[in-house]
Amino acid sequence: MKIRAFALLGTVAAVCLLLLTLQMRGHIAGASDALAVVTTPIQSVLARVNRTAFGLWSTYRDWKNVRAENRRLREETQTLRVNALRVTETTEENRRLRRLLALKESMPLATLSGEVIAREWGGWVRSLTVNRGRADRVTRLTAVIAPDGLIGRVVDVRPGASIVQVLTDPTSTVGAHAVRARTQGIVEGEPRGTLRFKYMARDGSGIQIGDLVVTSGAGGLFPRGIPIGRVRAIDDRGSALFHYAQLTPAVDFARIDEVLLIVGEGAHDVAALFPPAGG
Amino acid sequence: MRAFVVVAIFGGGFAHATLGPALRIADVAPDIPLIVVVLLALRRGPEFGCGAGFVAGLLQDAASGGLLGVQALTKALIGFLIGGLGGRLRVGQPLVQVPGLVLLTITEGLARFALLKLFHFPAPFGELMAYVILPQALYNGFLGAALVLALTWAETTSENVS
Repeated sequence: MKIRAFALLGTVAAVCLLLLTLQMRGHIAGASDALAVVTTPIQSVLARVNRTAFGLWSTYRDWKNVRAENRRLREETQTLRVNALRVTETTEENRRLRRLLALKESMPLATLSGEVIAREWGGWVRSLTVNRGRADRVTRLTAVIAPDGLIGRVVDVRPGASIVQVLTDPTSTVGAHAVRARTQGIVEGEPRGTLRFKYMARDGSGIQIGDLVVTSGAGGLFPRGIPIGRVRAIDDRGSALFHYAQLTPAVDFARIDEVLLIVGEGAHDVAALFPPAGG
Repeated sequence: MRAFVVVAIFGGGFAHATLGPALRIADVAPDIPLIVVVLLALRRGPEFGCGAGFVAGLLQDAASGGLLGVQALTKALIGFLIGGLGGRLRVGQPLVQVPGLVLLTITEGLARFALLKLFHFPAPFGELMAYVILPQALYNGFLGAALVLALTWAETTSENVS
């Protein structure tokens, strides 16, 4: 058994060495070609099988990658959407604050900017809570405005906040006049959240839809000329002593976020500081 | 079983030329026929190892376009050697398999280099050792051990089933 094994090894070695010697001397150049006749077709088939198998594997891997990438891109899209919203929000806030700052700087009155931190919109009471209070020397009945017009007055001052009664509050009344017709009257809030301009019938013949109503400055509480709203409808009550005009508020109270509190003397005409359209 | 042996020898030779490139890691491909020859020699003895090595090596020579007979001889020697020593080695242990295959690959590489030198093959030994033989030896060691484990598992499973 052992001899047979060694004999085999010897034979194999001899064959190999013979093959190598002959090849080196260039005698059996055709031996490789002869072997290639057998090996090449098998290699071709195997290569094809190999390519197919790897093609399938590669397709599977691509599919997996695409799925993972899809998931990643979805997450990225979500993040970008949130970021875009943040940017939009910041841009909008920036725009609002710039307008407020412009108003504050042009005001011939001492003002204090404040941020709306809460809203009471129940119908019984319509108010805003602003983050300025006693510590900021805010006093009761301080006028509160926005770049578009009048918001209301402070009705309660707390250590770190103030409650602002909005014009649409049912108990709110403000002395006002129609700019074009010079009709004097009072702007009142209504329970349904609207504004009406109450004026003497004999003075109101010239009032028209679209007229701007501003603060009259009577009483010294509000500076004169702050836009309140525009006439939306006229309620002609015939021979009654008072007539009414429905107003569209100059300020969107539900969306206001930043305000100015007029902390100084209010006996000024500030009409020129507001846009003529009230918006 | 014979069919398996034939497929193993021939398949190993062709797999090296076809699948080898796909198994490359950092440009190092395993010597699959050598692993196959070692595994067969361990199971079937020196004569079979020698024959299998010769056939597998010859096919590899033909497939790679090199000198016919170089790998045929080195693999036949390895098959014979490992077939003879097989009974005395505890080849069931991965701690033996990995260094064993590393050592065998280095031996085969050295034998191949010596043979080629004998036939005036111009190759620097240091570079061949550093960039071809040693990396391939390490790769063979781990791949061979994995194959042994897979074969053992397959055999155990088939025995349990039958």
